[in-house]
Amino acid sequence: MNRPDHSTYREWLTLDADGGLDRAERARLEEHLAACPECRHLKEEIQGEVLALNTLLRGAAVEVRPDFQTSVMSALPTAGWESRSPRAWRFTAAVILLLGVAAGLMVAGSSAAPSGLGALFAVGGMLRAAVVAGAGLAGASWKGLGLILDRVIASPLSLGAFGFLVVALNLFLFSLIRRRRPAVQPSGRDPRT
Amino acid sequence: MTRGAEQPTDEELVAAVLGGDRERFGDLIERYQGRLVNYLFRLLRNADDAHDLAQEVLVKVYQVLDRYDPQYKFSTWLFRVAQNAAIDQIRRRRLKVVSLRQEDDEGEGRDWDLPSPERGPYGELRNRERGVAIQEAIDSLPWEYRELILLRHFGELPYEEIAQLKQMPLGTVKNKLFRGRQMLKEKLQDFLVD
Repeated sequence: MNRPDHSTYREWLTLDADGGLDRAERARLEEHLAACPECRHLKEEIQGEVLALNTLLRGAAVEVRPDFQTSVMSALPTAGWESRSPRAWRFTAAVILLLGVAAGLMVAGSSAAPSGLGALFAVGGMLRAAVVAGAGLAGASWKGLGLILDRVIASPLSLGAFGFLVVALNLFLFSLIRRRRPAVQPSGRDPRT
Repeated sequence: MTRGAEQPTDEELVAAVLGGDRERFGDLIERYQGRLVNYLFRLLRNADDAHDLAQEVLVKVYQVLDRYDPQYKFSTWLFRVAQNAAIDQIRRRRLKVVSLRQEDDEGEGRDWDLPSPERGPYGELRNRERGVAIQEAIDSLPWEYRELILLRHFGELPYEEIAQLKQMPLGTVKNKLFRGRQMLKEKLQDFLVD
C-alpha cells in the first residue's frame, strides 16, 4: 500500500478532529505524528479551527417550535399498515378463537348429532341463540329505560338530580380525556441532538 | 426492548410503532426534529417552510413506515426522504436566486432570525451579520459540497451514513467534506477569529 503524503496527513488531521477517521487511518496518523514534528505542531491548530467552525455553525441553529412534536403527532393520519398491525388483529382473532372454542365444546357435548352436519347445526343454533338473547336484552333495556324516565320526570327534584348527575358524568369523562395528552412524552433525547 | 438504562434504538422504536404503539413515533420525532428542521432550514432558507416541510416529511415517513428496511439506519432513510422533499420544493418554487433577505407579509425585507447569544445592540447586529454570512458561505458552495456539509453539520449524520445516503465511496465523502470545510473556513474567516 502506498504511504500517504504529507498533505494527506493534514487532511486526516482535519477529518480526525471531526470524527471522520476509522481506526486504521487513525493508527497511521498517530504513527506519522510520532515521527513528524511539523504535523504534530499543526494538530492543535487544526483541532482549534475545526472546533471553531463547528461551534460557529452550531450557534446558527434555529430553534424548533415548542409545539412541533405535538403538531406532527396530531397530523399523523391512519396509515395503511396500521390495519394490518398485529395489535389491530388481536381482538378479532380472540373473538374468532372464542367462538371456535364454544362451537367445539357444543359439538363435543352433543351426543345426538356427532356428524359434520351436526356440527354445522350446532354453530347455527348457537348464533340463533345469540340473536334471540341480544333482541331480548335490547327489549328489556328499552323497557327499563322507559321506567326510569317515568320516575325521573315524576317530580322537579328528581329531574334536577338527574341533570346534575349527567353534568357530573360529562365532566368526569372530559377530565379522563384531558389526562391522556402527556402520553406523547419522549423517553429520551439522542445524545447527538 | 430496552437494554437496561440505555435508550431504545431507532430501529426498536420503529418496531414498537409498527407493533401498534403509535406514541413511540413521538420519541423518533423528539430525537430528530432539531436536526431535520435545521437541515431543511439551510436548504429552504426559511424557518416556517422548514418546519412545514419537516412535518410533511415525518408524516410521509410514518405512512410508509412498514416499508422501512432495518438493515439501513433510520436516520439515513429519514434524511433521504427529507432531501428529496426539499429538492422538490426548491424546484417547485424555483428558488434559483440566493436571497439573503426574507420578505415578510408586507413585502418588507427582514434578516434571518437566528438565536442571539450576544446581547445588546452590538451583539444583535453581530449575530445578524454572522447568520447572514453563514448562509451566504453555505449557499456559495458548489452543490456537491453543500449537500454533504448540510448533512454532516446540520443533519449531524456520520460519514458512513452520508456515504450510504449519497451512494458514494466513503473516501469521496471524506474528501468532499474536507474541501467543503476548507471553503467554508475561508469564507467565514472573519467570524472564526472572534
